[in-house]
Amino acid sequence: MLWRNTPTGFGLITRLLHWTMAALILAQIPLGLKIATMQLGLANLWLFGLHKTIGFVALILVLTRLVWHRISPPPPPLGDADSLPNRAARAVHALIYACLVIIPISGWVASAATGLDVVIFNQITLPAIAPVSAAWENTGFFIHNSATKLLMALLVAHIAGAALRAFKGDGTLQRMIKG
Amino acid sequence: MRRILALCLALLTSPAMAAPAHYTLQPEASTVGFQTAFGTDTITGQMPITSADLTLDFANVAASKINVVLNAAGADASFPFAAQAMKGPKVLDTADFPSLTFQSTAVRKTAEGAEVTGNLTMRGITRPLTMQAVIWRQKGQAEGDLSKLTIRLTGTLRRSDYAATGWSDMVGDEVKLDILARISRTE
Repeated sequence: MLWRNTPTGFGLITRLLHWTMAALILAQIPLGLKIATMQLGLANLWLFGLHKTIGFVALILVLTRLVWHRISPPPPPLGDADSLPNRAARAVHALIYACLVIIPISGWVASAATGLDVVIFNQITLPAIAPVSAAWENTGFFIHNSATKLLMALLVAHIAGAALRAFKGDGTLQRMIKG
Repeated sequence: MRRILALCLALLTSPAMAAPAHYTLQPEASTVGFQTAFGTDTITGQMPITSADLTLDFANVAASKINVVLNAAGADASFPFAAQAMKGPKVLDTADFPSLTFQSTAVRKTAEGAEVTGNLTMRGITRPLTMQAVIWRQKGQAEGDLSKLTIRLTGTLRRSDYAATGWSDMVGDEVKLDILARISRTE
């Protein structure tokens, strides 16, 4: 079992991080859209807690991933590194990482700015990382919403790119699945 | 169960009640209940009464006066987020305004008790508020003994009148108040 990344393949840790985060993000986006628009009541209040819990776990995972890729750099893209598809892929990856850091932190900031405790796993209260302020709250949610829309577009590009490469059979999707 | 005794109408006929009498609160036996809409559900809660100062004149109800101070900072609600939201800067802002006060300006006798109009101060904003009052003798008090009374004040306020507008998209504007104060006469 190869934990670390190699010059040509993704190690187990990178692949686990990638697919765990993929699952969390694909659950988190529809959940976020739901809690933003639903008729609130006592019965669905817990969905806010779930959204914060998933978001916090995703934040820890993306930070873990950034650290891990310092320790064990991922392989370069297959094919000519300077080709247009590979340059586009690198740009999309960089923006996805930026979104994955900005979105949970802006959500955390906005939640803290409402003055309510930010509670995850139904029992852990996160530190209030912003002052209680309408300006912080509004700005935080604006960034949270805008960056999420950007992330949704980036994910379409990311998934479309992976699917396209899989159709061509260049091995990119294969090595993220099997190493 | 609490045994409700005679209504104040019965008290009005008592010959012992010629002069206005002064009452203070039994705080441990008194509470302010409130409720408001939360989507299709209801938030309920309580707020301790800091002090109440009442002058009751059963012969001339209009001469009665009621002053109440509520401990907003000590309020609690039916779930933790509601209490925190209510006390926070967007609603009661208890860090800056730890108390609510009510001072009656007019008391009018009604069929069931009295209608009390007064000024409610919340978040530093004062607005008129009318509440319905009913008074009973407390359990265990003999008929005609007005030394210990229970007064219940009910009314509805709109929190937007007091700029307490936080979470107005989720939480109702109208807040129903139900104050149950047990008071004892001071000599």
